[in-house]
Amino acid sequence: MAAESSIQEMPVIPSVPKELERQPLILNKRSLGWLSDKISGVAEGKTPKWWWIAFVPSFIIFCVCFAMVIYLMSTGVGVWGLMIPVAWAWDITNFVFWIGIGHAGTLISAILFLLRQRWRTSINRAAEAMTIFAVICAGLFPLIHIGRIWLGWWLLPLPNANSIWPQFRSPLLWDVFAVSTYFTVSLLFWYMGLIPDLAVMRDRAKSKIRQILYGIGALGWTGSNRHWSNYEKAYLLLAGLSTPLVLSVHSIVSFDFAVSQLPGWHTTIFPPYFVAGAIFSGFGMVLTLMLPMRTVCHLEEIITVRHVELMGKVILATGSIVGYAYGMEFFIAWYGGNPYELYAFKNRAFGPYWWAYWTMVSCNVICPQLFWFKAVRQNMVIVFIISIFVNIGMWFERFVIIATSLHRDYMPSNWAIYSPTWVDIWQFIGTFGLFLTLYLLFMRFLPAIAIGEVKGVTPQADPHHPMGGAKGGHH
Amino acid sequence: MKTIPPSCPEPESGRKYWRSLDQLADAPEFRQWLEREFPEGASEFTDPVSRRSFVKLMSASFVLGGLGFIGSGCRRPEEKIMPFGKMPEGYVHGVPQFFATAMPTRGGAIPLLVKSHENRPTKIEGNPEHPDSNGATDAFAQASILSLYDPDRAQHYRQGGNTISKEKALDELRNLGAGLAAQGNRIAFLLEQSSSPSRARLVTALQFKLPQARWAVYEPVDLAANRRVTGSAPYYKLEAAKVILSLDSDFIGSEADSTRLIRGFAKGRKTEKTTDAMNRLYAVEGLMTLTGINADHRLRVPTSQVVAVAAAIAAKVVPQNAQITSLAARLPLPQGVDAKWIDECANDIRANAGASVVLAGHRQSLAVHVIASLLNTALGNNGKTVFFSELPQAPTNSDIAALARDLNAGQIDTLVILGGNPALTAPADLKWAEAQSKAKSVIHLGYYEDETYAASPDKTLSIPLNHYLESWGDARTSDGTLVPVQPLIAPLFDGLSEIEVLARLGGSAATKGHDLARETFRAFAGAGNFEEAWKKFLHDGYLPGAAPKGSDAPVVANLINTSFAAATPVTLSKDSLEVVFHRDHKMDDGRWSNNGWLQEFPDPITKITWDNVVLISRRTAQEHSVKNGDVVEIELEGTKVRGPIWVQPGQADYSLGLALGYGRKRTKAGGTGRIGHEVGLYNAYELRASARPNFAVGAKLTKTGQTHRIACTQEHGSMEGRPIVREANKGQYEKFPKFARNFDLEAHSQHIGKDPATAPKDAAGKPDLERARFAGIYEHPYTGFEKRGGQVGVKVKGQFVSDVHQWGMSIDLSSCVGCGACVLACQSENNVPIVGKDQVLRDREMHWLRIDRYYSGWKEKNFDSAVDDPQAVIQPMLCQHCENAPCESVCPVNATVHDEEGLNVMAYNRCVGTRYCSNNCPYKVRRFNFFDYNKRSLDQLKGPWYGSPLTTSKDGEWNFTRWWKSPEAGTRPDDEWDLLKLVKNPDVSVRMRGVMEKCTFCVQRIEQAKISQKVKAGASGDVQLKEKDGTVPKMACQQACPAEAIVFGNLLDPNSRVSQLKKSERDYDVLGFLDTRPRLTYLARIRNPNPKMPDYHEIPLVMDEYKHKQHDDPYEARKHGGQAQGEKKGAH
Repeated sequence: MAAESSIQEMPVIPSVPKELERQPLILNKRSLGWLSDKISGVAEGKTPKWWWIAFVPSFIIFCVCFAMVIYLMSTGVGVWGLMIPVAWAWDITNFVFWIGIGHAGTLISAILFLLRQRWRTSINRAAEAMTIFAVICAGLFPLIHIGRIWLGWWLLPLPNANSIWPQFRSPLLWDVFAVSTYFTVSLLFWYMGLIPDLAVMRDRAKSKIRQILYGIGALGWTGSNRHWSNYEKAYLLLAGLSTPLVLSVHSIVSFDFAVSQLPGWHTTIFPPYFVAGAIFSGFGMVLTLMLPMRTVCHLEEIITVRHVELMGKVILATGSIVGYAYGMEFFIAWYGGNPYELYAFKNRAFGPYWWAYWTMVSCNVICPQLFWFKAVRQNMVIVFIISIFVNIGMWFERFVIIATSLHRDYMPSNWAIYSPTWVDIWQFIGTFGLFLTLYLLFMRFLPAIAIGEVKGVTPQADPHHPMGGAKGGHH
Repeated sequence: MKTIPPSCPEPESGRKYWRSLDQLADAPEFRQWLEREFPEGASEFTDPVSRRSFVKLMSASFVLGGLGFIGSGCRRPEEKIMPFGKMPEGYVHGVPQFFATAMPTRGGAIPLLVKSHENRPTKIEGNPEHPDSNGATDAFAQASILSLYDPDRAQHYRQGGNTISKEKALDELRNLGAGLAAQGNRIAFLLEQSSSPSRARLVTALQFKLPQARWAVYEPVDLAANRRVTGSAPYYKLEAAKVILSLDSDFIGSEADSTRLIRGFAKGRKTEKTTDAMNRLYAVEGLMTLTGINADHRLRVPTSQVVAVAAAIAAKVVPQNAQITSLAARLPLPQGVDAKWIDECANDIRANAGASVVLAGHRQSLAVHVIASLLNTALGNNGKTVFFSELPQAPTNSDIAALARDLNAGQIDTLVILGGNPALTAPADLKWAEAQSKAKSVIHLGYYEDETYAASPDKTLSIPLNHYLESWGDARTSDGTLVPVQPLIAPLFDGLSEIEVLARLGGSAATKGHDLARETFRAFAGAGNFEEAWKKFLHDGYLPGAAPKGSDAPVVANLINTSFAAATPVTLSKDSLEVVFHRDHKMDDGRWSNNGWLQEFPDPITKITWDNVVLISRRTAQEHSVKNGDVVEIELEGTKVRGPIWVQPGQADYSLGLALGYGRKRTKAGGTGRIGHEVGLYNAYELRASARPNFAVGAKLTKTGQTHRIACTQEHGSMEGRPIVREANKGQYEKFPKFARNFDLEAHSQHIGKDPATAPKDAAGKPDLERARFAGIYEHPYTGFEKRGGQVGVKVKGQFVSDVHQWGMSIDLSSCVGCGACVLACQSENNVPIVGKDQVLRDREMHWLRIDRYYSGWKEKNFDSAVDDPQAVIQPMLCQHCENAPCESVCPVNATVHDEEGLNVMAYNRCVGTRYCSNNCPYKVRRFNFFDYNKRSLDQLKGPWYGSPLTTSKDGEWNFTRWWKSPEAGTRPDDEWDLLKLVKNPDVSVRMRGVMEKCTFCVQRIEQAKISQKVKAGASGDVQLKEKDGTVPKMACQQACPAEAIVFGNLLDPNSRVSQLKKSERDYDVLGFLDTRPRLTYLARIRNPNPKMPDYHEIPLVMDEYKHKQHDDPYEARKHGGQAQGEKKGAH
């Protein structure tokens, strides 16, 4: 990823074909100073109007979310539409949905980092923030969906007077460990990456309060060589730590289903299929957030069309894996010869919830196939629309797996139809309020793009580059 | 009750010390102060319903009086108030006591043994000592205990709408009684049916005193219809019958004495061996009833045309009877009835002369009863399967229609209504409420301030009626045995019983129920010591010696003529429908309307709760293009009612079934209670006329366009070809006795080998139980036991297993008739809350034990005929106590675990409510308390905005504050809460919200039995509960089951009944292929159809569907591998 200009200056090397040319990650040969100004600018100065327009409704919806939680806690989980046999429905659907979304951030920041995919730098900060906020939304549901919320801490392996430990055979307990570990590591990773940028913000701060607050966050960062060296090592370590977590969290979430014996849940394909689905939905959400942000904050030169295209390709790949999994599930249901299993899958596609199944298939399998076309990948409006469909489809995937498997299982006498209540619906919408509120606060107060890392992938970052080194002015 | 400290003995001589001048003066105030626990006024609550005053009442008059019985071996009440001076001998605090009593029913009684905790009745059981009972009850008896603690009961004496004191009411009664003679024929009495000799005695005495008074007995559902033929009540001995023909007689469900009849019927069907004989049931009926569901052959004809079928069958059986043959010739067979059905049925009956029985249902006309009687006589069944008992009936000189006429004519000044609710239940054409208000004064003895009270509150002296658990009395069971009704608790609201009112009106010297019943008993006590006889009578709960006689007076020829003449051919069509008013399985005639358990008890056929529907056949529904939930208007002779449609498989075409007892309201003036208010869209009584109380022809049905949501607990009626209930015809069972274990998925897997005899053998030829049972994480209790060489309490792989008890259960699907007594027994025993209609609509009912009912028939094959004439199967479904329980491994907090005796137990306190266990339970028998069902009133459970302490206030105080002060009080109104908590079984925790619950195999009963066995065993160490000693507890469901279909016991005892049953070839596990290894297994159902009948099916229809869908035939030897589970098979 040497810069374009340096290649052109070497006469001995024949010019590479245009398709193979390394595209600059930051357009228009912007200077390092410009980058600092541009990115920090979003979090500085007067609060723009668009922010208020986005924030006020988000915050109101967040309050609704809070109100629903209070109502639920004071009254009972019966305010949702859950029942026997569908004892999990929107609660766990939403949990898996948000956890899935939370996958993109760490994947981008950790796996792509290890794979030296330097295009990640423009999007990793925002994607990691998204991850953390999504995991917060996800974590809400298992916590409030239990019957006696005030005793939720019994899932933690705390020594107590009764010598009762949690039951280590239960996938729900694995969830507790997996999600909390994932959240902790993601948060650390995100914060680690923020330290140099917080120092930038501190240095640029015009008010005392900002100086102090960013200063506390920056942990005394001076940008010395030693700092950078430690930072790089720690970053690499954390990336290494996070990488297996990306795969483990959703595998373990999928065990909630795969370990049970319910037809439609009891499937060995679940771990890889869930991970692929999670990455798929995560990238969908990254696009959903990044495309408007890129426009309103005028970051088109940093988050370029190429970035969007690359993410489109990831969506295409993971979407195809998910589609393959759907097909394979059906095949196994038939091939396995278990009539209960076969019925569960037939019922998904042609039972009372057929519309949910086919919504899922259209959104997750058919829709992303449009990304085979470059024109589609490069059309920001279409990409945005597809990303929304991906989100919808992935929510439905979880709903289909959870509700349609439960509503008709072994004993036909139990069969029933589930429908959500208004509390279910507002609870779910409310989490978007929580998510967007946190995300908008993040955009307003923290650098939404990793300033230090983006600079690292510019040509100027190369000391041998004509524009590089210390010549270019301030860091 | 405060224990008064013993007074300090004062010295005889010498200096006397005193605390105060009051003491010195020995003032009465000081004495009182000394003995009071609290200052004056502080401990006295004026609220009559408050728990405290209730407990006071209870403990005052009964705790101690009642306890005296135990010590002295009898149960004579002592109406004294005193604390325990000495602990009564044999009394152990917390250990329940049992008292024998009886629940009076219409013209009969159910002998009971009622459990009492600290003198608070908590559970009703049948009296197993009674010669004609096996200790079973029906659903109503089980639920009746809830009505005792009904906060909406009549609680006050009222006159002219004002509350008066009891003393004043009693004075009124006495004065009235004194003046009655002067009124001559201007006084009328309206009674209910009763078998009480005391009542009969008092009525006779009153009749003697008031020779001109009018006496009428009215029952809206007259189950004694079959007495009209000769006057005596037929007593059927079904266990002796080989062939049973029911002419619209739902003897399993809604006829009198069904508990006993179910037992007889089930006894005649028990097949322990393939060679055992089985009875065969033919049913001719219009509505789908439990009898029809259990019938081997069912003929679907409209209720009004049953008489034609009855005559046709009778004409074949007794062709020599000219009256019958001419009737049969006159009445054409209903459309669609195959003459071969009649012929073969008649042949079968004739072939079993003397071992057959013909029953006629109470809804049928006299002609059908006469035919049944003639047939039984002609076949020589009398004295073999049919007997007759004389049950006392009050002599009457009037009936309700005449009373209404006289009232309207102003000929009656005083109307005495003792029990019953004629303003609701009287035929609509009598306009009873209006007629009643024309009397100058009305005396109303009622359990509720109901519609009858509301009809004329300003003229009524209203007396609260005591519950039978609060009153003294007597009754006769169907075989004529005299049983006592003795109270277990002082009247909660200080009401009166029927005999007490009659005695007061009659001016008897004795007015206490106890004295009255005792006086009556003198006539029965016989020679010998009366005291001893009385004590024994109360102790045993019955007076032995009654026996129904074997023959009856012949049917009077005139009766035959008139009844047959009244039978006329009926034609039904789309626009002239038949309406059948049927006794409801839950509300009866409306009397249980305020009983929440019964309201939520799923109807045994439709599985509908909290509603009445218009039952309609598939074809009729199609012709009127209506579907389930559509509200239709039914017009009959100018009267209209509106109700929701329910398409009922097996319903006769052009026939509508309307359940009585719904559509009631609670108004200021009176009516049903809070529970029964506005349950059901229509009140069927509005259509009922005195001339045609049971069914009517000529109704019109129109669609209204509205819909109504019906709360049905089983939304899916087909088994989808899954081998969940397994059955075979008797012939197949004889040929393939192991069919029940020969179903595909299980036959392929190495399956549970509980029995070493069927387990695969190891190299040494010994049974390899380890291999037979998939090695799970936990050691299997049996294998562990063997390895330990029979050592007790040795820890194996981190788990204690008992080699003393391993519990198991077996349910015989051949015996179970689906009556549902077990459901309510479980509810009562285990404090299972009700949830209300909205919650049932959301599939959140809490019953630990449900009864699944599946119809045969699937889309691809004869769907229409399968809906019209379905076969049905019934399966009680409760926690299976899987040895390899899927629920246990997924609970993150170890709240559901296995105990050492093989029970899958729930630690409610540990449960956080993730509900994962329910998701992973293949039987879906776990129930989740989504709200605080025990503490919230039904009003708060209606949605879409549910009430909680945070969102509701009462009496100006926020519930949150109330809840904060006393969290156990919940948000129910105080009066409701104070009473309702008394019904709870103190041995079972009342679960809070957010907790999963399920059947525990009545672990509290097991523990109690174990404790008493341990006490008994002492140092001998013989702690095993043994069936032969009768120490193995019965489960609540098992105890209530009249069919004895449920058997519970110790699997480690090879001689226990349950071990024996599990060895049966019919024994199978539901979903056994999942290797859950349930401790509850089922015995496959055996049908006994007649191969010559036109509706004979080679294999039962649900199995036919299985065969069709799974391409597997359980009735043939498996081609690949062994025939049945446990046997050596191919490498699968």
